[in-house]
This record gives sequence, structure tokens and C-alpha cells, in this order.
Amino acid sequence: MIFYSKSLILSAALTLLAFHPRLGAEPATFATRVAPVLEKNCTGCHGKDKQKGSLRLDTFAHVMRGSDDRVVVKAKDFAASELHRRITLPASDEDVMPSDGKPLLSSADILLLEKWIAAGAPATEPFDAPALALTPITSSAAPDYRPRLAAATALAKKLGIRLVPRSIVPTDGLILRTASAPTQCNDAVLAQLAPFADLIVEAELARTTITDAGLVSLALCPNLQILDLTQTAVTAQGLGALHPLKNLVVLNLTNTAANQATAASLKKLPSLHHLWLFGTPADPVSAKPAAAKAK
Amino acid sequence: MASPHPLQPDLCSDHGGEHPTIWDLPNIPLGLKQEWLNLETRRHFLGRGAKALAWAGLASILGRSLPRALANESSSTPLLPHFAPKAKRAIYLFMAGAPSQFETWDYKPGLSSMFNQDLPESVRGGQQLTGMTASQTRFPVAPSFYKFAQHGQAGRWCSELFPYTAKVSDELCVIKSLHTEAINHEPAILSITTGNMFPGKPSVGAWLSYGLGAINDELPTFVVMISKMPIQVNVQALSNRLWSSGFLSPEHAAVALRSGSNPVLHLKDPPGVDRSVRRAMIDGVNDLNHQLFDRVGDPEINARISQYEMAFRMQTSVPELTDFSNEPSSTWDLYGPKAKEPGTFAYNCLMARRLAERGVRFSQVFLRSWDQHNNLPTNIKILAEDSDRPTQGLIADLKRRGMLDDTLVIWGGEFGRTVYSQGTLKPQDYGRDHHPRCFSMWLAGGGVKPGISYGETDDFSYNIAKDPVHIRDLHATLLHQFGFDHERLTHKFQGLEQKLTGVLPARVIRDILL
Repeated sequence: MIFYSKSLILSAALTLLAFHPRLGAEPATFATRVAPVLEKNCTGCHGKDKQKGSLRLDTFAHVMRGSDDRVVVKAKDFAASELHRRITLPASDEDVMPSDGKPLLSSADILLLEKWIAAGAPATEPFDAPALALTPITSSAAPDYRPRLAAATALAKKLGIRLVPRSIVPTDGLILRTASAPTQCNDAVLAQLAPFADLIVEAELARTTITDAGLVSLALCPNLQILDLTQTAVTAQGLGALHPLKNLVVLNLTNTAANQATAASLKKLPSLHHLWLFGTPADPVSAKPAAAKAK
Repeated sequence: MASPHPLQPDLCSDHGGEHPTIWDLPNIPLGLKQEWLNLETRRHFLGRGAKALAWAGLASILGRSLPRALANESSSTPLLPHFAPKAKRAIYLFMAGAPSQFETWDYKPGLSSMFNQDLPESVRGGQQLTGMTASQTRFPVAPSFYKFAQHGQAGRWCSELFPYTAKVSDELCVIKSLHTEAINHEPAILSITTGNMFPGKPSVGAWLSYGLGAINDELPTFVVMISKMPIQVNVQALSNRLWSSGFLSPEHAAVALRSGSNPVLHLKDPPGVDRSVRRAMIDGVNDLNHQLFDRVGDPEINARISQYEMAFRMQTSVPELTDFSNEPSSTWDLYGPKAKEPGTFAYNCLMARRLAERGVRFSQVFLRSWDQHNNLPTNIKILAEDSDRPTQGLIADLKRRGMLDDTLVIWGGEFGRTVYSQGTLKPQDYGRDHHPRCFSMWLAGGGVKPGISYGETDDFSYNIAKDPVHIRDLHATLLHQFGFDHERLTHKFQGLEQKLTGVLPARVIRDILL
């Protein structure tokens, strides 16, 4: 058994900082933390261009002003704030915001707004915001799956596999799922997924009949983060094809032919945090954790 | 006859020709039309007179009460997580009967010098006692008979009852401050399995099935295994109300694997019936069921159709699942020799790993007999010896296969036990009564911080001193790891947006999450 987890938190933080250089250094204020949440979720309908219900949420002054007939943020009391009530309603409630089936706010975003309101909804002063989640696995987003989801689903069905969204967040990507009929998933199937390669963030290929040729197809998935190749016939040399996978975080090679040389060369993958080698010729030789490398 | 409207079934003659119906009206939301359909179906049932008896017979075959059969039920298409999940699957090692926290995970060194002293009145503070010990004249403190030692890099104090689990103590997150309302087994087990002490709510596994759907269509999404007991003392009855789908569609209920050599009864085709004959038979039954659905519009019929299909698929998936012959020898080193004996806790732990590998979302393994009102030191050791090695084996096996990161393992019972002895206290023999005010559980994997403890109890593990965790909070946290905001994983029933955590506040325990 070989696994990398040393320095996970540190490297996760570094990864995050690399993506959002501002976030680590600046204190949490309306401008740094609250406004981005409103911009992401609200200002499309409540902003400069459109003011549904006479409400704008694109500046601090507008947020505090509320709509023509009511205040939406009551400082220090999020439970009494209309804004908070609307974003925490069940998806099926006709008052829920965002409306029209658009993705609801994440619980982390809701918590952030709660903290800001509870702190008195300060305009510029910092408030005690929850730490940013250090989740390397979601740090790099895939393109919006919505325009291509129907086509991806149809193709997957035809091929006897599944392509399912990881969550309702459209940039969370798709999971390639094969567990219902792993033996049906082979190199030819993977080759046909090319039109959706950029959407696939996770590939569950354990016990499939893929070989080294399939790895070449997988190498074309630029946003692939988690790859499970448990008990497949991939070879030690063939695994070298995975080197273009710059975003790969987890690679499971349990019960494959991966050897020490494979492990050593896969360490070069820049995002890899976990490499699982149980039941391979490379086990129990310890490889140096890729995550411990300076980034 | 094709229906002109997507949601409208073809109705019987007593409805035919009554046009226009509500279905023809513009500007009526589909949900309202669906509600009308349900009411209409009910009227239909009530109006059928003699045939109603047959209907009732059908409902009982389906194992459901009529009101539920007639309730609103949306499509069984899974929802999507609200955010990217950390856990894909969970394995819940349910220690039914409620293991004592004192001998397991809530080390109280200060008690050893207080043997047989009365529990200070200030600790209890006038709180009510449970019926079984309320009549005792004394409440003598019973320190743990078993010793503790520090293990792992985290230096966690582990009981000598769990020498194997102690080896993976750095993987565990022990929560010492769980609490519940229920003081007796049935309501407490129901509370922790379904979020409510009254029967009829969906089990945790059913909610996950409803929200996430299956990874593997060839196996059930939710599986329950009840382990053979190494000792049978104060055994709680378990039944499918603990793993039912409640008001959710019936396919979300668990399939309970039997603890014998034949885990699913009647799965093998009888002699002379080959696969194609079986397929033709199921197609015929499905056809009849589809016709019935078209007439009465009862969603439970669709659920039954899908269950026939699942059973057919399990005819091929289950034999492979239960064939342990391809396990490497290291498996038996991990889980111990008992894992070869079907139905033991060790066997079920190994089965849980095999289910997890094949994509089963939620496996719940029950081990009973932890209800030690008396003879606690003797009996808890027998259960610990039965379960310790395979528990460690499961954690280590998931870990080495790279599966622990996205498999949440849960260990625990339904409530805690009292610091004072129930019955006569001797140095080597005592009992403990039920105690809902605090108890310990542990979580491992699935995006939970390893090697930590959360929450603290007072010196007598009687009340919570810091960071209380209601079982609702545990449920909210569990759903969170599967990508769900517990406030938004809902299902409309009886006019309410029902949810696992109910109507009282629940919080995700963010401090224990990676």
C-alpha cells in the first residue's frame, strides 16, 4: 500500500492560492467575499441591467436599500432578512431565489451571507467569515455541462455507460460511470467520448476491459481529476500515456500491472495527491509523495 | 389507447367521455393536475365496490398501506447533489443495543478512584432517570473494567477491548457528544436510522438512494445485513421499518441480505426454468403491471415493476458478489477466519467492502446484543472480540484499495449508558442502564478529518460539556458529505416538504470535515 497524503492541506492551500491569489491575503469584507456571491447568483436579475422586483444587489448601497417596498437585509438578524429567507427556501417553493430552476446557493455561500449579516452587514469592515474550503478536487472547473448534457447522456446510453453530473453546479463536470456493466466499457467506447472529453472530471473504470489504447483517450480529458483503473489490463508502459493529465488528483491503480518505474514517472503529474498501488508490482515499494514536492 | 396528456392515464369507463376534464384546461400547473389525478384515483378506488377488495389484496401484496399507495409520488429519477460530494458510499456498522461509552470511546480516568461512590447529585442535577433504575436506592459509580492506552500518532486513548481497531485509530474521528431524545431501543434505533422515533419515515439509506440514485443498476442501492450474534442477551428486534423507504418510492428501501449461505431467497431459477423463460415470465408480469398502471395510475405499480427487474438482474450480480474465492489471502489476514463463515459480522464487513467496490451506496451492518444491563464486563468482551478485528480489517482494506477517501464508515449504537451501575456493583461485574444524554460514535473516511475527537462530556460522561451533536446534526453532516444540503433534500408528502432532519434545527458539524 502506498498513498500520498503528506502536506495535503498545505499543497491544497497552495493550489487554491495559485488560482485565487487575492483570497488568501485579504480579510473578508463585503467586497472580497459577499459581492462575488451576489454577483454569481443574483445580479443577473437584480443588477444594473435588470431590476426584477425593483431590487438591485450589485452594490452595497443597493443591497441595503432593498426593493421599493421592503428592506431585504436586516443587519445583525439574518433570520429576519428577506434575502436570507428567499435563498434558504426549498427548491420547490415558488418564492425561492434564485428563481426559475437556476442553481440555488451552496450551503457555504449561505453560511457566508449569514456571517456577514450577523456581523451587522458591514460596508467595508472585515467580518468573521468561514475559511475558504480547501478542496483541491474542485479547484479547477470544467466547462458548463448544460448545453451538452442531453447529447452526452444519449451517447452514454447508446454505449452502455453513464455520464452523470457530479452536482447541480454546471461547472462541476461529469462522472463517467461504468459499474452497472464494466465489461461493456472498452477502448472503443472511450474513444467515442472525445466530444465530451473536457466535461469528464472523474472516470470510474474499475474492472472494465480497457487497455493501454483506452488510456490514450483518457489523456485527452484535460479536466480529469479522479481516475479509477482498479483491476484493468493497463500495462506499466501504457500508463505513461496519462502524463498530459495536469489536473489529475487521484489515481487508483489497485490490482494493475503498475510497477516502480510507473509510479516514479506518475509522480511527475503536477496535481496528483493520491496514487493507490495495492496489489501491483510497485507495492510495497514506497514512492515519494508527489504532493510533497514544492509547487 | 394513447393518452393525450403526458400525466393522464387512460381511465376506466366510469371516467370515459366526461370531457372536458381538468386536463384540458389551460394555465393549470402540472402539479395540481397530478394532485387531481391522485384524488381521482382514490375516488376511483372507493367507487369500485366489490373490486376494492381485490385492490386491497394487491396493496397488501405490494406490502404497502393503501393511503401510502395512493399518495403523491414523483418519478424515481434521482436528483443531483447540491454540490460536489466527498463521499460516494457509506458503510454503517450499527451496534444495536447501545454499547457503553465508558468501556469503548469515552475514556474517563478519573472514575477509577471513585469505585462504588455515589454519583454526586450535582452531576445529575435532578434530571429524570429511566424506568429501569429509577427505583434504585443508590447510584454507585462503575469505572470501566477495561484499561485504556494511547495509540497512533494522535495518541488517542483506546480501550483494550479493541486492540485491532486501536491500530487504525488515526483514521477515526470519535464524536463523544452525541445525544438523542429516546430512552428506549425501538424509538432510539428508529430515530437514528430514520430521523424520527415514529415508524414510517424513510431510512438514511433510502434518502441517499432517492437523492443520488444507483452507481450500479445490477445491485440494490441500499443493503442491510444482520449479523449472527456471538452471544444473545437482551436482543432487540430489528425489522424493515428501520430500512424502509417510508413515503419515498419503495425501490429506495434496503434489500436485506440474509445471514445464511443463501443471501437472497428464491434467486436461483428452479430446475427446468432457464434464463429466457424467466425473462419471458417477467416481461409478461410487467406487461400486466403496465396495464394496471395505465388504469389506476398508482406509482407503486411502477416500483413493483422495477423490483422485478432488479430481482432479475440480481440473479446474475449476486452470485458473483458472494463468491469470495477470488479474494487474496491478505483479505483473511485482515478480516480474520470468521469472515469465511456466512452471516458473521466479519463476513458482513467483507461483504460491505465488496458491495462498496461494486457501487452500492449504503450498506448497513447490524450487530446486536450490546444492551448490557448486567454482566457488562463479560458480555461486552464477547462482542468486542467478535467485531474488533473485522472492523479494523474493513478500514484497512478500504484504505489500501484507495476507497476510504470516498467511503464514509460509521460505527455506533442508538444511545449511551449510565456511569452508575444498574444492579449490584462488583469490581468485575456490573451493568449500565440506558442513557440518551451523551454517547460516542466514530466516523472514518468519506471526507471526515482523521485522527481527531469532537465534543466532550463531563467527568462522569453524564452530560455534554462541549460541542453537543444531536443525531440530527449527524444526519445533516452525513448528507453534506454526499453533496446535499439537508434543508433542500426534500420530498413532498402530507402537504409538507419532508426531510431527514425534520423540522427542528440541525447543523453540519463542519469542524470534523476535511
